[in-house]
Amino acid sequence: MTRLVEVPTRFDDRTFDQFARSCGEPGDERLLIDAHTSQWASPFGLLGLLTAGQWIKEKQLPRPLFNIPSDREVAHYWARTGFFEFAQEYFELHGRVPRAASGSTDALLDVTPVRGTADVHLVVGHVQDRSAAILAEVGLEPQATLGFAMALSEGCQNIVEHAGTGGWVAVQAYNWKRRLGRRVVMIAVADAGVGFRQSLQSSQAERWGDRWGDAAALEAAVFQGMSRFPDPGRGQGLAGMRRYVERWDGKLSLRSGTARLSIVPSWDPDDPIEDRLPPFPGAQVLVIIPGKKDVESGGR
Amino acid sequence: MTAIFIDLTTVLHRTVSNGYGDLVTRPTGQAVRTGVEEDLAFLDTTTVAIIDFTSVRCLDFSCADEIVGKLLLTHGNTRYFLLHGVTEIHGEAIHAVLERYGIAVVAQQRDGEVQVLGPVSDAIRKTVSILTREGTITVEDVAGHLAIPAAHARETLDEVIERRLALTHADDRVSSLA
Repeated sequence: MTRLVEVPTRFDDRTFDQFARSCGEPGDERLLIDAHTSQWASPFGLLGLLTAGQWIKEKQLPRPLFNIPSDREVAHYWARTGFFEFAQEYFELHGRVPRAASGSTDALLDVTPVRGTADVHLVVGHVQDRSAAILAEVGLEPQATLGFAMALSEGCQNIVEHAGTGGWVAVQAYNWKRRLGRRVVMIAVADAGVGFRQSLQSSQAERWGDRWGDAAALEAAVFQGMSRFPDPGRGQGLAGMRRYVERWDGKLSLRSGTARLSIVPSWDPDDPIEDRLPPFPGAQVLVIIPGKKDVESGGR
Repeated sequence: MTAIFIDLTTVLHRTVSNGYGDLVTRPTGQAVRTGVEEDLAFLDTTTVAIIDFTSVRCLDFSCADEIVGKLLLTHGNTRYFLLHGVTEIHGEAIHAVLERYGIAVVAQQRDGEVQVLGPVSDAIRKTVSILTREGTITVEDVAGHLAIPAAHARETLDEVIERRLALTHADDRVSSLA
């Protein structure tokens, strides 16, 4: 039996829950992940697709079918981000996969696997090398650019140190004319690992009592700097990311299990904490930093 | 006073990889700290170890914790340390790490400005600032500059010395690390 999972036409952090709901809890049935009508996907969306595929593969469930976008421009763009290169490991791809060299997009960092510390060095080094381009494209202040690499490193290390499996990262700049009137740079990090609740279960569950759950685990990690390690030097990365986004009027959003915790700037309508969301494996991190430049034209 | 520079990028290349330019990830921080400790083993405890960040690009919290936090936690009571060439962003990460341990260190930024990173009182911060400006001071200098009683100045300077944020001399004068 095959079950249809619809990919939102515009797939980003705002439509992610729709995808998670459609995914549900995969079982023995084969999934058909349908991106046929996709018009656009943010790095967060693309990583969500890979995370779902990785999770299903690691659970040794039937390999899902995947309908690639019928819009050739969209499919070409996904190919250039490197998405299909990794997707073919998890999905049986249907439709003509465009031949496009990955790395040929204007992304600051294409879809990149994170499996160990060497990958974190690679990612941070790449973005550092491109920091001048970030400055020019988005209009970040020099201090914000330096901190950006730190935030990127912490996001990736969260996978290496806590997920118990590999994950993904991508960085892209966008022209948010309608939403913000400025350009923004966006980091998306995702993994199909154990998630915050399981990671912190042994050290925090008893302390939180009845309140313990995905939302409490996110709160403990981001606001209290808690880590599964007893070392007092641990658990500072997410708190550092929070301070960074607060300083530069950015947004930090972490989704794990059935909860999402966001550090919400004045320009974003999200709720700081959302619980009872459709379950999704692992952890998904989104950082958005607005540049200083006003957008004159173009739009998202 | 003798001082020796320990260039962190050189240590990074020696202990981890020639190809890396950033101090990121905890295993990297642990390896670099071990490398710094190997260098320290050749120094007597009166030598100021100047940990040089001048060529460091990105420093994340894991490396700030391993390289500065745990280094000071282990050796800060027996050695003198000065951080050199730190950026504002490095300083923020190091300060956050040191706050957890309740320890402090003197840091010289790339523009030459000297500051104390970690949790210290205003009096300590101001005393280190006076030390940096004057080079060498006495209790009377602290009392005069901060307009506080001599006994209070003595306590403040004693804490500066105890926390190894300055060097002491036999004649009771105190010198800046920077």
